[in-house]
Amino acid sequence: MMLLVWKLLRQHISIAQLAGFFFANLFGMFIVLLGLQFYNDVKPLFSQDDGFLKPEYLIVSKRISGMSVLGAGESCGFSDKEVEDISNQPFCKSVGAFTASQYRVVCSMGVNGVAQFGTDMFFESVPDRFVDTELSKWRFSSEDGIIPIILPRTYLAIYNFGFAQSQSLPKISEGIVGMIDMLVVLRGNGQEQRLKGKVIGFSTRLNTILVPESFIKWSNTKFAPEADLTPNRLIVEVKNPTDDAIVKYINDHNLELEDDKLDAGKATYFLKLVTILVMCIGMLISILSFYILMLSIYLLVQKNTEKLRNLLLIGYSPVRVSLPYQLLTVGMNGVVLILSFTLLYMVRCYYMNMLWVMFPQMQDGSMWPTLCLGIGLFIVVSLINIVAVRNRVMKIWNRKE
Amino acid sequence: MNSIELHNTLPCVFEGRDVQSEIWLQDVVFQKGETYLVEASSGTGKSSLCSYIIGYRKDYLGNICFDNKDIRQHRVSDWTAIRKHTLSLLFQELRLFPELTAMENIDIKNELTNHKSHKEIEAWFERLGIADKINAKVGRMSFGQQQRVAMIRALVQPFDFLMVDEPISHLDDENSKIMAGIMMEEAQHQGAGVIVTSIGKHMDLPYTKTFRL
Repeated sequence: MMLLVWKLLRQHISIAQLAGFFFANLFGMFIVLLGLQFYNDVKPLFSQDDGFLKPEYLIVSKRISGMSVLGAGESCGFSDKEVEDISNQPFCKSVGAFTASQYRVVCSMGVNGVAQFGTDMFFESVPDRFVDTELSKWRFSSEDGIIPIILPRTYLAIYNFGFAQSQSLPKISEGIVGMIDMLVVLRGNGQEQRLKGKVIGFSTRLNTILVPESFIKWSNTKFAPEADLTPNRLIVEVKNPTDDAIVKYINDHNLELEDDKLDAGKATYFLKLVTILVMCIGMLISILSFYILMLSIYLLVQKNTEKLRNLLLIGYSPVRVSLPYQLLTVGMNGVVLILSFTLLYMVRCYYMNMLWVMFPQMQDGSMWPTLCLGIGLFIVVSLINIVAVRNRVMKIWNRKE
Repeated sequence: MNSIELHNTLPCVFEGRDVQSEIWLQDVVFQKGETYLVEASSGTGKSSLCSYIIGYRKDYLGNICFDNKDIRQHRVSDWTAIRKHTLSLLFQELRLFPELTAMENIDIKNELTNHKSHKEIEAWFERLGIADKINAKVGRMSFGQQQRVAMIRALVQPFDFLMVDEPISHLDDENSKIMAGIMMEEAQHQGAGVIVTSIGKHMDLPYTKTFRL
């Protein structure tokens, strides 16, 4: 049925024009998709997702000068007034204090029951709402006596590459943190208690040994009831880590940021900017190619106006007459989508291999958002094509050609 | 559809002119089952009349109604249905597709309704003396041959009215007769009304009424 109509309407189709559209659109679509995919793949490297601390959290401490070491300068701790001042800043969402253990802690570690080393150490806690982990794991009760602990990732590196290697001990991977036994002895206020520690994870951004707030409260009351609890460090949740106001405030008040979160934030910002720029260029190419397609189809309809009109006059409906050109455009858009996605997949395999060599800890991201964007663009462009062809045919129907 | 009615109809371009016509500015009714001849001189709006009735042009004053319904109210889907099932027009300019063969030109119309079998169509080609042209490109046929193809195309659909606009302008008397015979057979078979227009030579048929345009 459609064959004769198609035989008629394919007259004047310009292969060169359609090929021009095809490759331009393929190129544009590929750049748009590649931009988004690359951004999604690389973003985790910049944001260094910690798993325990959200990227909007900054850790603030006072800059230590020579004077404060001698005890002559300002105090190292934050007074209530200072904490309040920070929490009143427009960039700040909420503030929490680090609370340190005020008693002696001795800890010995081992793997699978074999003790390996022991050391004096300390604990710190932040309010639980700042710790991004399952709450059931992040709880201490004095009955079962197991302390959940988050260690800095650098400790793992120090152990694996420094200690374990020189002592011919087994290396520990993050996957088997659960196998680390920690025996913790707490002493103070004339009492002593042995507890078990359980490492539940490693954090890149925290330079401390983190335990639940409930444990610190309980242990400080028990082993150091009279200690001064002025916090030395604050954890600040900000609205936007790239905000310049933060840097200004930090410098003006002689404070220090504990990690390079701000730099990472800036790098992410630039990554975003470059990605958007690349995607815009891709989009521009796509729009231009879309324009070629529309011109080409308009020209085709124009050249075949008489045939289309005759078909309409002998009883073909505008819907039926439009269909061949609509199928042609939608089909081409579909092929472009499939090809550009295939191309993207191959290119991605290539660059992901390179990235894995450089950043072995990188996780394999998903291609779904990119596919969704591709399909979304396909649908929008196809709909515009369908409507445009139909409008052209209706113009012939209404004798406006 | 049982009737086509014209009420005070006049092509816009004739407005203000002194028009002497038995169609324009009159109340005219074409009934289903009857045969009419519309005789015209050049430039009296014969093809305009066909274009108005097939819904192709609307540049007229007054009203045209199908079964008392003003055709200005027809929507796109109504017109498509009318052109498929109710009203068939043999265009003076034929409106065939020169890049298709004679049979393909018929098929492209017949496929809409599958009204006629290939056998019946081939029989018509035979009777009209163009059986050898069935698979020839229409663009390579003479106008007289094309007129016969266009007539066959006009007949491969169900219709209540058949309008033929100068169907035999390029045919000899013998072929005109055959064509008229086939046309009337099919029209009677369908119980349809026939409106023939002519500018000089016309088919010899038992017309119910003849109008001077």
